[in-house]
Amino acid sequence: MTLDTKRIVIAALGGLFLLSLVLVQWMETARKAEEAGIRPPHVAVPANSRECVDCHAEENPGIVVHWESSTHAEKGVGCMECHQAAIEEADSYLHHGEQIATVVTPRDCARCHDGEANEFAASHHSSAGNILASLDNFLAETVEGSRVDFNPHSPTPGKAVDMVNGLASAYSGCQQCHGSKVALESTNGGRITVDDLAPDADGIPTNADAFARIMRDDKGKPVLYAGTWPNTGIGRLNLDGTRGSCAACHSRHDFSPRRARQPENCGKCHLGPDHPQKEVYEESKHGIAFRDLKEDMNLDAEHWVLGVDYAAAPTCATCHMSGNIRNGGRITHDPGERISWTNRPPVSTVMDTDVNHKIVTETDPELRRTLIHDSANQKRDRMKDVCSHCHTDDYVNSFYEQYDDLVILYNEKFAKPGLAIMGALVENGLRTPTQFDEEVEWTWFYLWHHEGRRARHGASMMAPDYTHWHGMYEVAERFYMELVPQTREIIEHAHDAGMSAQAEAVERILDGILERPEHIWFEEGAEEAAERIRQEMARRYGGEERN
Amino acid sequence: MSVASWFGDRLPVSGRQFRELTNEPVPYHLKRWWFALGGTPAYLFIVQIITGILLAFYYESSPTTAYASVEHITNEVSFGWYIRSVHKWAATLMIVSVILHQMRVFFTGAYRDPREINWVVGMCLLLCTLLTGFTGYSLVYEQLSFWGATVGANISDTIPVVGSFIKRMMLAGDAYNQSTLSRFFVLHAAILPVTIVFLIATHIAVIRLQGVTEFRFADEEEAGGKTFNFFPDHLYTELIIGLVLMVVLSALATILPATLGPEANPLQTPEVIKPEWFFYVAFRWLKLFTGTAAVLSMGFIVFVMFAWPWIDGWIRKNTRFQEASVWIGILGVLTIIGLTLWEAFARH
Repeated sequence: MTLDTKRIVIAALGGLFLLSLVLVQWMETARKAEEAGIRPPHVAVPANSRECVDCHAEENPGIVVHWESSTHAEKGVGCMECHQAAIEEADSYLHHGEQIATVVTPRDCARCHDGEANEFAASHHSSAGNILASLDNFLAETVEGSRVDFNPHSPTPGKAVDMVNGLASAYSGCQQCHGSKVALESTNGGRITVDDLAPDADGIPTNADAFARIMRDDKGKPVLYAGTWPNTGIGRLNLDGTRGSCAACHSRHDFSPRRARQPENCGKCHLGPDHPQKEVYEESKHGIAFRDLKEDMNLDAEHWVLGVDYAAAPTCATCHMSGNIRNGGRITHDPGERISWTNRPPVSTVMDTDVNHKIVTETDPELRRTLIHDSANQKRDRMKDVCSHCHTDDYVNSFYEQYDDLVILYNEKFAKPGLAIMGALVENGLRTPTQFDEEVEWTWFYLWHHEGRRARHGASMMAPDYTHWHGMYEVAERFYMELVPQTREIIEHAHDAGMSAQAEAVERILDGILERPEHIWFEEGAEEAAERIRQEMARRYGGEERN
Repeated sequence: MSVASWFGDRLPVSGRQFRELTNEPVPYHLKRWWFALGGTPAYLFIVQIITGILLAFYYESSPTTAYASVEHITNEVSFGWYIRSVHKWAATLMIVSVILHQMRVFFTGAYRDPREINWVVGMCLLLCTLLTGFTGYSLVYEQLSFWGATVGANISDTIPVVGSFIKRMMLAGDAYNQSTLSRFFVLHAAILPVTIVFLIATHIAVIRLQGVTEFRFADEEEAGGKTFNFFPDHLYTELIIGLVLMVVLSALATILPATLGPEANPLQTPEVIKPEWFFYVAFRWLKLFTGTAAVLSMGFIVFVMFAWPWIDGWIRKNTRFQEASVWIGILGVLTIIGLTLWEAFARH
């Protein structure tokens, strides 16, 4: 190479190096601008989603901004990948040249996330929509609202109200967590749901008549019934036959894993007087550690494996869903895989489940053994795998002993007796089978549905105040001060009404319960026990017990 | 009084003298690019010094703050990600270039009499470069760097007699503690760089005193002269190499910027612990043997590498295998590549 050529090469390389520094400067400026929120993060919009993004950036900028910050956007997954629909689908319509559906269902997500969708489909979460036929929904639809719309009884100044939607509480309350049965308006004035459409295995309606009756707006878009949409309830009954909504946990349109990993995400539904898991968690050492060490949780990690990516504190996701080093980092979308008691019903039962993931209720030990596909102990072992990242085996086993003891105490002392009393009242005609039309039914509902669950959930997640003061204390108070006196009053009224045989049958059951060693104090007094406590107080504190 | 004469009075070296001093005749074989790569590690070392100083402005060498400071450099400091990435890639390329340079010297027999001392200096440079890489990686304080350092210290512990002393010196105690990182930092940012500067100076001084080993290729007879001028011909060559390196570094830093793994957790041993790639060969070797035997065998190999000019001299003098070093070299390189790939693909 001649000297002149070398000079030219040096100049060219020098220019190239300077150019690379200019590129670095440009990248740095862009990064700072994105950080400061001056410029949205750069993403490559897939060609078939470009028109959607351009238009919705004007119409609904929030949607686009959320999507742009998502992993989907980073990986080139645009609008069409989720919203695309076949022309035969019930809620599909042509929108700016693309056939799309508004409601994205687990079937859509399963196109890429089939493993997660299958796990979810097997979970109790996916059947949360069963509440639509449950006692709780009777409460919302009948007691709180009305199964039939009714005329308002007085005017609402400034608002033309000609009919009251009796299901409003169910739509805005229960179904926002449990999931609605998504409905389309029908041309005949009714509504079309999955029941009418009878979709096949691919989610395509088989009932041509119902499909033909779908009401469409002037642009051909099917009209979704407002009572059931918008809805991201976790057990939503979709028009294509699937159950659930992935957006319940993975908020659209950013689908942030970071958010799904945090307790606030679950707290949309798992809170309140009847199942305060969020509050229970916050009271526990786990929740306290999370609040303090949130910055160490590595919440943006790609896989977020306990023991690899973080170990500072557990969240709901850590214990119930996320991967850990003991299970090879396997995430599950079935939170029930690690739960060994169900504390949802009046009486807790162990989570021995069959091949269909249903709880085995068979009582014959041999037969029961053959039916169990995934036992409560197996589920507990999976949870212990999580616990053991921070606790020794002895510690974990002893915790579970405390938890089991509390659940069994509640079951045996209050739940099963309460259930027996309530059953006896119905069987003997001393109360109607209809719930919530008699005081004792409200009492019993509070006892198991609110206070009893609080006690059990408190024990399950190490929240002492919820276990005791918000839990067992109120269970006991409700039992002794309300359920027992109200039952006695019903018995007394039955005697007065000439139903002595029935009254005596219930009384035998009630007395039989109260004669048990754990209840005898209530009828016969507990002066001896109270005296022991007074003496202990005097020994410890040198004074009288204060009242 | 002109500025030139002012300096001339105080630094009595004329331009002619300076040109004579720098215009060392360069052997003709250095016109071949492959033979002009000896300066590459030195270039990269200068890049490391500059980027290292910039990183040290923000780095905090305490276990409680180290990881956060690296995170701060990467995510918040202006151009921090670029400087850190250049530093990381220059370290990688420096190790590659030192190994390649040493291979070139080995296979061309440039270590032979009378250049044995410079081979030893080169070996010292190789070890210092590897140690600098090791201590630098440890400073990030992510899971693998923490556990890599811990494993490294435990390996040192198995050396007979002095093992526990080396481990204590490394970790500033019996186990990784509050003072360990600052010790690594001082080694990485002061002791080892100064040692490398000293060794490079010695290396170059010895080359200048002995002259560069000369090779004659068939086509050079036609090319005429035995040597050519350092200035400007060879300087341009070096400039081109330097600029190519800078462009490559810049491209690597922007296309594959340095990442950050999970923060070190002394209570949680990762399922798989692996050192940086340049220690794969040693790591795999240690796994093939147990405890002291592994360390002693490796020590023996390093000793043989240091003493190779004399071993090779003895073989050439007393046997008929004049090119034994080439075959031994090929075997050694294949072993290094094999063990490195084995460790790279092995799960454990």
